[in-house]
Amino acid sequence: MHIMEGMLPGLWPLFWYMVSLPVVVYGVIRIKKITEEHPESKPLLAVSGAFVFVLSSLKMPSFTGSCSHPTGNGLAAVLFGPAVASVLAAIVLLFQALLLAHGGISTLGANIFSMGIVGPLCAWLIYKGIQQMGWSPSLGIFLAAAAGDLLTYVTTATQLALAFPLPTFTASFTNFMTIFAVTQIPLAIGEGLLTVVIFEYIMKLRPDILEKLNVIGPKIKESVKAVA
Amino acid sequence: MFENTLDNYAHSNNLRDANVNFKVLFAIMTLIVSLISTSPVIPLIITILMSYLIIFPAKIPWKFYLKFLSIPFIFGFLTFVYMSFFFGTGPDIFNSGIFNLSVTVDGFNTGLLVFARMMGGFTCMAFLALTTPMTELFSVLESFKIPKIIIELAMMMYRYIFLFIDEGINMYHAQQTRLGYHNLRSSYKSMGMLASNLFIRTWIKGEQAYISMESRGYNGSLYIHNYQNSIETKNLVLLLCFEALLVLGVYLSGNFSVF
Repeated sequence: MHIMEGMLPGLWPLFWYMVSLPVVVYGVIRIKKITEEHPESKPLLAVSGAFVFVLSSLKMPSFTGSCSHPTGNGLAAVLFGPAVASVLAAIVLLFQALLLAHGGISTLGANIFSMGIVGPLCAWLIYKGIQQMGWSPSLGIFLAAAAGDLLTYVTTATQLALAFPLPTFTASFTNFMTIFAVTQIPLAIGEGLLTVVIFEYIMKLRPDILEKLNVIGPKIKESVKAVA
Repeated sequence: MFENTLDNYAHSNNLRDANVNFKVLFAIMTLIVSLISTSPVIPLIITILMSYLIIFPAKIPWKFYLKFLSIPFIFGFLTFVYMSFFFGTGPDIFNSGIFNLSVTVDGFNTGLLVFARMMGGFTCMAFLALTTPMTELFSVLESFKIPKIIIELAMMMYRYIFLFIDEGINMYHAQQTRLGYHNLRSSYKSMGMLASNLFIRTWIKGEQAYISMESRGYNGSLYIHNYQNSIETKNLVLLLCFEALLVLGVYLSGNFSVF
C-alpha cells in the first residue's frame, strides 16, 4: 500500500527521506562494488528492477474477490539481498509515482522505508533463518513473502499514525492498523502463495540462476537436478 | 490488466518543449507549499490551477485527466469521511445516532485539510508526470548529483519495463484463451507461470544485453546525452513571485476553517 502524494503533513516527508537515505546509500555502494567486480551484472540488475515493476503492476487474484497488486519486495529481497533490493525498490517506486501515479514524490521517502527497507529486510531475515534451520525453501519463501508484505502494511500504518496522532498515538494506530494491516492479511497470504509458485517454477526451469545468486544451497541443487 | 501509462501523454503534450528545469522546479516548489499549508484553501487553489494547466495549456484530454484524477479523489474522500468520524475530540457537528458515531469539529477540519493536501500534491505530481518525459527527468536527476550508476540502472529499467509489459500482455492473453484464469486455483497457477517465465526471459534478455553492449565497446558506463538548458532570469523571477504569493496565501489563510 503506497502512501498517497500529499498525505504526510509538514516535515514528515523530510524525516522519512532522512531515515531511508542511509540504507539506500549503502545499497548504492554495494551495487557499485558488485558492478565493478562483475560488469555483466549491471544489465541484469536493471532487467530485474524492470521485472519487479511489471510484477507489482500485475493484478493478483485474491480471496475477497477484489484484486490487489503484489509488492514483489519479498521476492526481490530473497533474490538480491536487502541492500540491493532497497535501491531497486527506490527506483521502482519513483517510476510507479511518475508512470502510474501510485505513491508520490513527497511521500517517496516514507514509501521507500516501508516497501523498500522494512519489508525486504524482514523477508530476507526470515528466508535466511529458515534456510539455516534446513526447512524447505518453498516454506521459507512463502513465509518471507507473506511477512514482508504484511510488515510493509504495518509500517505504513505506523507512519500514518505518527503523522496523525489524533486523539492519541495509540488510538490512531489501532484505527490505521484495522484499515491497513488486518484487511491486508488475505492479500499477504495471496502474495506468499504466488511467490511460492513463481519460485518453484524458476527452480524447475533455471535452477542455475538461483545458484548464481546464492539463493539455494548445494544440497537443494542436487535434489533439483535429481528431479529434472 | 496493464493500464495505459502516462508515458504516451508525457511525450505528446503541448508543454513538452517547455524548459525541463522550470517544470521540475515549478512542480516541486508548489508541492512543498501545498504540504506546509495549514488550511485547505491554498491546496485547493493549487488543485484548480494545476488542473487548468494540465487541461488547457498542455492539452491533455479532459476525459483522461478526470478519470486519472478520480483515483486520488475517491481515496482522499474516503480518508476525509473516515477522519471526520474517528479523529476528533471537540464538539459535535453532526450526530448520526448509530453506534454513537459523530462528526467532530477538529476531525472534520483535519480530514478536509488532508483531502485538500492530497489533491494539491497529486495534481502537482500529475503536472510533472504528464508534461515531462522520463528521459528528460533523468538529466535533471543527474544535476541533483544522484550517483551515475543509479541513473544508468533507472534508464535501462525504463527501457525494459515497456518490453516486459508487452511480453506479459502476450502471455496473459495466451493463458486466457486457454482458460487459464477460470477459477482461483488456476489463476494462481497461471499467474505464477507468467511471472516466473517473465523472470527467466528478463534474465536471458539481461545477459544478451550485456553481450551486445560489450560487442559495441561497453566499458562499464553509459554516456547520457544531457539536454538541459538553464532557466531564463525573467521566468525564474516570475516563478519566485508566484511561489511567494502562494506562501503569503498560506500565511493569510492560516486559521481558516469551515466550522
